[in-house]
Amino acid sequence: MYVVGNKYLFSVMLSTQFPWLTTILLLPLVAASVIPLIPDQHIKSIRWYAFGVGIADFALMVYTFWCKYDLQNSTLQLAESYPWVPQLGLNWSLAVDGLSMPLVLLTGLITSLAMLAAWNVTNKPRLFYVLMLAMYSAQIGVFAAQDMLLFFLMWELELVPVYLLISIWGGQNRRYAATKFILYTAAASIFILVGGFAMAFYGDTVTFDMASLGMKQYPKGFEMLVYAGLLIAFGVKLPIFPLHTWLPDAHSEASAPISMILAGVLLKMGGYALIRMNIEMLPNAHVYFAPVLVILGVVNIIYGALAAFAQTNLKRRLAYSSIAHMGFVLIGIASFTEIGIGGAVLQMVSHGLIAASLFFLSGVTYERTHTLIMEKMGGMAQQMPKVFALFTAGSMASLALPGMSGFVGELTIFLGITTSDAYNPTFKVVVVLLAAVGLILTPIYLLSMLRQVFYGVNNSGIVIEGYLGDAKPREMFIASCLLVPIIAIGFYPKVATQTYDVKTVAVATQVRNVLPTVVAQQGRSPLYSTVLIAPHLAPAESRSLLASK
Amino acid sequence: MEEIYQYAWLIPVLPLVGAMLVGLGLISWNQVTNRLRQINAVFVVSLLGAAMFLSCALLWSQIQGHAPYTRTLEWAAAGNFHLNMGYTIDHLTALMLVIVTTVAFLVMVYTDGYMAHDPGYVRFYAYLSLFSSSMLGLVVSPNLVQIYIFWELVGMCSYLLVGFWYDRPSAADAAQKAFVVNRVGDFGLLLGILGLYWATGSFEFGEMGDRLQDLVQSGSISNFLAIVFAILVFLGPVAKSAQFPLHVWLPDAMEGPTPISALIHAATMVAAGVFLIARMYPIFEGVPAAMNVIAYTGAFTAFLGATIAITQNDIKKGLAYSTISQLGYMVMAMGIGSYSAGLFHLMTHAYFKAMLFLGSGSVIHGMEAVVGHDPSLAQDMRMMGGLRKYMPITAITFLIGCLAISGIPPFAGFWSKDEILGNAFAANPVLWAVGYLTAGITAFYMFRMYFSTFEGKFRGNETEIRHQLKSADAMAVAAGFKEPVPAFGPGAMDTRELAATHAGHDPHAHSEYPHESPWTMVLPLMLLAVPSMLVGLVGTPYANYFEEFIFPPSETLAEVAQKAAEFNQTEFFVMAGSSVGISLIGITLASLMYLQGKINPAAIAAKIKPLYELSLNKWYFDDIYDLAFVKGLRRLARQVMEVDFRVVDGAVNLTGFFTLISGEGLKYLENGRAQFYALIVFGAVLGLVILFGVT
Repeated sequence: MYVVGNKYLFSVMLSTQFPWLTTILLLPLVAASVIPLIPDQHIKSIRWYAFGVGIADFALMVYTFWCKYDLQNSTLQLAESYPWVPQLGLNWSLAVDGLSMPLVLLTGLITSLAMLAAWNVTNKPRLFYVLMLAMYSAQIGVFAAQDMLLFFLMWELELVPVYLLISIWGGQNRRYAATKFILYTAAASIFILVGGFAMAFYGDTVTFDMASLGMKQYPKGFEMLVYAGLLIAFGVKLPIFPLHTWLPDAHSEASAPISMILAGVLLKMGGYALIRMNIEMLPNAHVYFAPVLVILGVVNIIYGALAAFAQTNLKRRLAYSSIAHMGFVLIGIASFTEIGIGGAVLQMVSHGLIAASLFFLSGVTYERTHTLIMEKMGGMAQQMPKVFALFTAGSMASLALPGMSGFVGELTIFLGITTSDAYNPTFKVVVVLLAAVGLILTPIYLLSMLRQVFYGVNNSGIVIEGYLGDAKPREMFIASCLLVPIIAIGFYPKVATQTYDVKTVAVATQVRNVLPTVVAQQGRSPLYSTVLIAPHLAPAESRSLLASK
Repeated sequence: MEEIYQYAWLIPVLPLVGAMLVGLGLISWNQVTNRLRQINAVFVVSLLGAAMFLSCALLWSQIQGHAPYTRTLEWAAAGNFHLNMGYTIDHLTALMLVIVTTVAFLVMVYTDGYMAHDPGYVRFYAYLSLFSSSMLGLVVSPNLVQIYIFWELVGMCSYLLVGFWYDRPSAADAAQKAFVVNRVGDFGLLLGILGLYWATGSFEFGEMGDRLQDLVQSGSISNFLAIVFAILVFLGPVAKSAQFPLHVWLPDAMEGPTPISALIHAATMVAAGVFLIARMYPIFEGVPAAMNVIAYTGAFTAFLGATIAITQNDIKKGLAYSTISQLGYMVMAMGIGSYSAGLFHLMTHAYFKAMLFLGSGSVIHGMEAVVGHDPSLAQDMRMMGGLRKYMPITAITFLIGCLAISGIPPFAGFWSKDEILGNAFAANPVLWAVGYLTAGITAFYMFRMYFSTFEGKFRGNETEIRHQLKSADAMAVAAGFKEPVPAFGPGAMDTRELAATHAGHDPHAHSEYPHESPWTMVLPLMLLAVPSMLVGLVGTPYANYFEEFIFPPSETLAEVAQKAAEFNQTEFFVMAGSSVGISLIGITLASLMYLQGKINPAAIAAKIKPLYELSLNKWYFDDIYDLAFVKGLRRLARQVMEVDFRVVDGAVNLTGFFTLISGEGLKYLENGRAQFYALIVFGAVLGLVILFGVT
């Protein structure tokens, strides 16, 4: 069904289906181009317009996935493919599966809420909303693209709005933070391009189609090299230590709505792409790199948590906590088990919601106190008990309190790595032990944050903006839109797990199938021969998961 | 009878509904909800009352011999992995349900009086209801993961309730300390769960125990590993039940309102650790080394708590250390294999300790009328004395509690404690000796507390003592130990009072003498006095109904009956007589020192100054932990941040792209000309495509 390479250049795929994904993707972008034409002196109608578009697109996603998507099917669905720039072999091919579908929904929810959170933006509002909507489209594109070049274009398209959104609407150090962000991510994305081209031009057929790339057989050295390149590219985004240093600057300098998107959606692109490309396309190399990913994950958890504890700036602390939480995703991805990989997806969705709510609430606090330095605050609970209640709920979710989504994500990842039969027991013990130390560190820095900001008596001299007072209905709405799914997933995880379960099971099966052959190979470095062990697997027929119907 | 089992899920759900509705009301219609104070309270209390009724019905049905009932539903799944949640009702669960619901019900009634003037009245009921729900969910858990879930949830409720008066920095510190210390225990529990799951592939208690036994016997798992897993699981109870070395959070948790101290930090949540050991008995029983660790930890904690309680002047802190000590007894009982005695003590302790705490709340409530809302005065026993004259019902119920905890027959504590000591003597004389000595100390410090609070003459109006206490407080402030903030007790949460200074006489001290508490507070005290006196009679060695109902999963009823038949009356009289004897010595000493004044305690303290200091400073645990963990972690975190800033970030900034695209290129980007950047990327794409196209 896919248009592969240059062979079918002019055969436009005539689909009897309505192009749902294209509509979802392009709606915000098209709507954004109209914004300059809207006559509005008071920006009131612009913000309603932008928010309306966001919600409408989200509703469209929900409708599409509810009615047109089959949860029991692990292959790509709602596929569309049109040749776009035939000379480059670039196809407009979109599709979703259990991996991308929850993340597309997450994008819709968080971006819409971020636009609602940015209600008070008065500086260049038109440009702001144009960029937000453009970014909305690009994010959906990253998760839905099934063509390597299209993926890369979407990846890049999303960088420019983020850069501008930080550098125009950011804090005092915004230029530095934005430049650092763009240099990191742009430099890293070169690796995507090079890796993508290398894979595309390898072998007899030249294709950018991801499914076809996944079916190619690459030599070992080549696969390792491409894997390493992609790991750097996505590692910047996730972020993985030591490529994380753009993140605290970008998060703390960006305004709260942008931080919501940065933490809620952008970081997930890294995790998503790691599963989509590194595991699915390069499973052999993944077996080699998996122990490294686990170790990096543990480093992320401990290092992020300790660095977070030392921060005095509220948003920087939350930023480092994101680094720590994404460490769990790495461990889950590299666990070689169904539970672990499923847990990684759940952790991404859950962290998206939790981090967005915490960054949003930090913005709500900042609007009233005009400082992010926690030592200068104190006793805020008396003036704004509702914000206090919501902040407490968000922090509890972040420290993996049962009954909230974060717990389910981390528990399943722990179960995944514990039950994994691919690792040496000693290695597993060390990893689980250290990752669990993160569970002790998380409440230390999050509860200290609550204590410093909200508890005690307000004797710091900071006057809360009288006219703002406690949380407004709009702010309550945003926070509850994020907290309700967090609690729903925590109470009954199946609401989330069933959306991706068949897909993550398929991914796990795929990597487990290559595991014995790779592990059995001779001449491996001593690190791997001690860490990785070959599980006893029934020889399953090798089937490619990306194969189209 | 079957129907009540099908609806048993309502027991934890009903209080949850109450908490959620009241909580939503507080968030959405704050002022209206706060104005409807007692309507909210009645709503919450009646929901819990319904749960209590259902629990009693279940207990009755279990006593009648109904088979255990379990119902689950799939909660999470990934591939072949399935995790079920649900509820199970057996003897142990039914007993715990009744203990939790009755104590919670009475505490809720009491709260109406204690928190009557607090602006957080409604919020307090919402938290109480949430806690009851979590605690009930914990006891009905059919598997270890669900226990862990509710285990953490009760911890969160404890955090919220200890920090209930959020304008007190000391409360904020205590709440955080409680949560973090408990997380250390949960860390062990989680690792234990993971390890046991890895080994046995199950989360069910019985299945886990059986498989672990088989695995150890067949040699698939080394004995050492089994010991490690069991001890890791035991770390959970160590934190939750405030056992050495993680006991430090419980005394600080007394910053919470007193009804909370009674419900959470005396009767129910802290006993959850003992409950978990009971639930995990199939595992622990097969690992004798772990049982020894449990027994010795319990015994040491019992002794530690008692020795610290001797020197406490804060009535609530004294009771808190007494709780630690009594929990030590229960844990020790579990460790020596005295399963039903441990749970029996859990039950009797729940009632008499809840009553003692509620009594102390009543005393504080009365004292606040004289000294104002200042915990450092209202809770200090040096300010009290002679209160029996002013609050007779509180005094009598407190005395009953003291007699019960000291093990004077026929009060409840005697039967349970005596059974533990008897079994300890048979199991290990060292443990018995520690428990026996602790029993004497317990009687001493409890009666020290009773005499200096309720007997003698009232000292609340003696300005000299007051100044002495305040200056000690001021010194702590000057030394930086305490922040100089006005303290607010129940009834002083009005924001206008934030401006109130504490110069001169407290404006809330409106009376010369304390008064008896309102009926909502006194009635629960009287109702709790009944089980404190009589509940022990279900477990007398002559007719041990309790043991016939609660016995270890590995034993059968016939074995229990056989054991009961071996009862030796002479042996019982010797054991009971000696433990009553040491209690009476303790009481006599206390009366000589604090009632008749024949012995001067200050002189003794001066003679054994190092020991006195050790007890007064709580064996220096807080100081050591502060130095080793709190300060150490802060230093480590700072170092990590420095490394992050200087090394990681610095390296990338220097060797990275900042130098690569130096000068002109950087200026372009810093001017915000992102189009230029986009151009570079698209140019690069195009260039590469052409390059590849050509070759």
